[in-house]
Amino acid sequence: MSALADIEQSIENLLAIPPYELSPGERHSVLLALLKRELAYGSEQNSSFDNYVKHWPVDYRVADRIADLPYLPVAVFKANPPLSLVLRAEITRTLTSSATSGQIPSRVVLNAATAKRMTRSIVTIIRDFVGAARRPYLVIDTPENTSPQNQLGARGAAIQGLRSFATELFCCLSRNDLGEVVLDVNELFKFAAKWKETDVLVYGFTYIIWTHFVLPMLREGISLDMPKVHVLHSGGWKRLQEKAVTKDIFMRDVAAVFGCSTGRVIDYYGMVENVGVVYPDCERGNKHVPVFADVIVRDPLTLAPVQAGQQGLVQVCSVLPTSFPGFLLLTDDMAELIDYDGCPCGRRGPYFRFAKRVPKAETRGCGNLETARYSPEQASHA
Amino acid sequence: MNKLVQAISSAAEIRCASQRMRELSRAENICPDQVLEVFERWAAALDANVVRQIPGVTFLRLWLRRGTLEPILFRELGQGCLHGEWSDQGGVRLRAFPLGVVGHWPAGNIEIQPILSLSCALLGGNGCLVRVPAGLVEPTESIIEKLHEVDSAGLLKQRIFAASFEHSRTDLHEAMAQIVDGAMIWGGLEAVSQIRALPFPHWARVMVFGPRFSVAAMDAATWGDRNQQSSWCRRIARDVWQFEQQACSSPQTLFLERGAGYDAAEFLQGLRTAFQEENGAHPRQQIEPALTSAICQARASWLLDDPSHSAWFPQSPDWTILEGSGCDVPKPTQGRTLTVLLVEDLLDVISRFDGAVQTLGLAVQDPGREEALAHAAGSHGVDRVVKLGQMHIFGSPWDGMDLVRPMVRLVRHGRSHA
Repeated sequence: MSALADIEQSIENLLAIPPYELSPGERHSVLLALLKRELAYGSEQNSSFDNYVKHWPVDYRVADRIADLPYLPVAVFKANPPLSLVLRAEITRTLTSSATSGQIPSRVVLNAATAKRMTRSIVTIIRDFVGAARRPYLVIDTPENTSPQNQLGARGAAIQGLRSFATELFCCLSRNDLGEVVLDVNELFKFAAKWKETDVLVYGFTYIIWTHFVLPMLREGISLDMPKVHVLHSGGWKRLQEKAVTKDIFMRDVAAVFGCSTGRVIDYYGMVENVGVVYPDCERGNKHVPVFADVIVRDPLTLAPVQAGQQGLVQVCSVLPTSFPGFLLLTDDMAELIDYDGCPCGRRGPYFRFAKRVPKAETRGCGNLETARYSPEQASHA
Repeated sequence: MNKLVQAISSAAEIRCASQRMRELSRAENICPDQVLEVFERWAAALDANVVRQIPGVTFLRLWLRRGTLEPILFRELGQGCLHGEWSDQGGVRLRAFPLGVVGHWPAGNIEIQPILSLSCALLGGNGCLVRVPAGLVEPTESIIEKLHEVDSAGLLKQRIFAASFEHSRTDLHEAMAQIVDGAMIWGGLEAVSQIRALPFPHWARVMVFGPRFSVAAMDAATWGDRNQQSSWCRRIARDVWQFEQQACSSPQTLFLERGAGYDAAEFLQGLRTAFQEENGAHPRQQIEPALTSAICQARASWLLDDPSHSAWFPQSPDWTILEGSGCDVPKPTQGRTLTVLLVEDLLDVISRFDGAVQTLGLAVQDPGREEALAHAAGSHGVDRVVKLGQMHIFGSPWDGMDLVRPMVRLVRHGRSHA
């Protein structure tokens, strides 16, 4: 069996077991061994990646902790051409991140096998939160983001990722003649009336849901009376925080518009670089890590894993991709590690809460006027 | 005691302080010698535990000494300047008078910069209106408190008004700009551009110390000298460590000139050792997460960009050495990240400088060669050429400008009955 086939078989084995049942010890030993094989495979496929791995201060082959394996910062996926472990002809799809204005988006390349695993893993995770049944799927977005394309943005990827749950799909936003995004209220009412007694899956980007769905509905005082929906949402909170919309306010108002309980409004954390892995909130408000992935929260001062209860930079780990070196990625997000195991919701493994995005670092001449304090460097050699 | 850095919320407070200092400056001239007397006592008082730990205070103590400042005053204002008397120059009398009130907008990342900036204007007898960045309020107060202890007559402390207010309070920045006769502005591109655009009076003298970076360079005979290698490596590490490599005088790149028979591997090993030792002696106490991200990104992109590149770094973000070849200065990362580039000829490197490089730290064995490199650096926009290990020593001129003279008016008196 080739190294790749061997790796792919191991991934399949992990995808076949319940995502949140392995103990931390079992999970660690399984993932460590598989990630080492993937690092070796990635190094063989890409000389640049090999150069990075070779210069890592710890030889991954003898490492006994996932935390010691060489990780890449997510920003390396802004490079052009994107980092890849497959031939160009094998790339079936390129996912792009939702970069805000002026930023370069990340791009990750998928081959057929990685794309297939992505779909399977998303289903495995989401069904643990909303059940396995297929159901009507309401997308709070415009239709152009719902069709499969070779180049897929973060919104499109998220929408597509949940499609396996759909019996039928309805997008409730459209563009008017001026190109503005508008809510298609009449069709929405028809959809709601038809499925009011049924389990319905709803997905949208957090900001889109708030701006183009919740606010117009609240203005009109409309409640859809759909108590059996599960509303999944993802994407950053920055723009909502600027409008003083907290997570509690968001959940309350979304629930009010659908006429459901707030427990049916589920925020999840994810990013295109961590393909196939999402981290939905459990009923305790914590984010959990499936068995084919791991999360390490690192102290920015030392980059060592933090203790439970501390905040740090989020490193995501995933065994799923074999088309790009996205096994171990340091993100630009901060999170609080609640604990390494024992969430009262019953899911095993580490659980955390998103804290904030790290502001973009800027190089400074003699410094901007408003930088925060940094190292109290001793001045004995001034 | 009143807060020594006052939180300001209205333009009236700024105008009032400025008015008071302007009247004082007119009514009560002080000469540089009087300022130096107080500075001497201030320097001595800064030896206290409470302020010694503030980054840069050791240097500040040296800076405030008469032995440091007198030569600067003599060079900038002339030999007879100390007592504020008229000097005869070819039948014409000259004397330095203060501009009046000088506004200071120091950068937010050098703890002692508010004090360095105001010290230059005080030597000219000016009142100083200092906008202290939020992160520097505490160290600035501690340092000014020491001045208050030694300046019982109030000679200098009455000439300083340190204010803190939100960066976004454009109205207060404008109020400050409108009532100053001179300004010293330090910082990054965005900051200095914003401050420079404020409505200063047309007569105000505005000095801008904008964003620059610095590089180091060594010839093969120097870095290849095994007897001196560790000593040079320690000097480089010291220059990299100070101010978290965020000062304009911080070296971001070290160019090593290749030489027949010399192997850079040994030198790079020495540099690693020096970085490890410097880190042991001066470990970081805190870091911005964004800087950690930038350091990780610099390491990764350097090694991914070109398989011939090398790098050395610990698992922590404590320090990073990136090694490759080429004459262009890579984008600075800061945070103790030094890029070491091997080149054929240092002149090729220097001839590409475009004015962004402030300081060239040199270690070159042959004086004639050093002379040629210094000349080339000066011709390509470099304002300071210094020995490696001394890149941060603040002095006049800085950024190619005098520090005291621009903040005084040289008044010419031609006698009416000569």
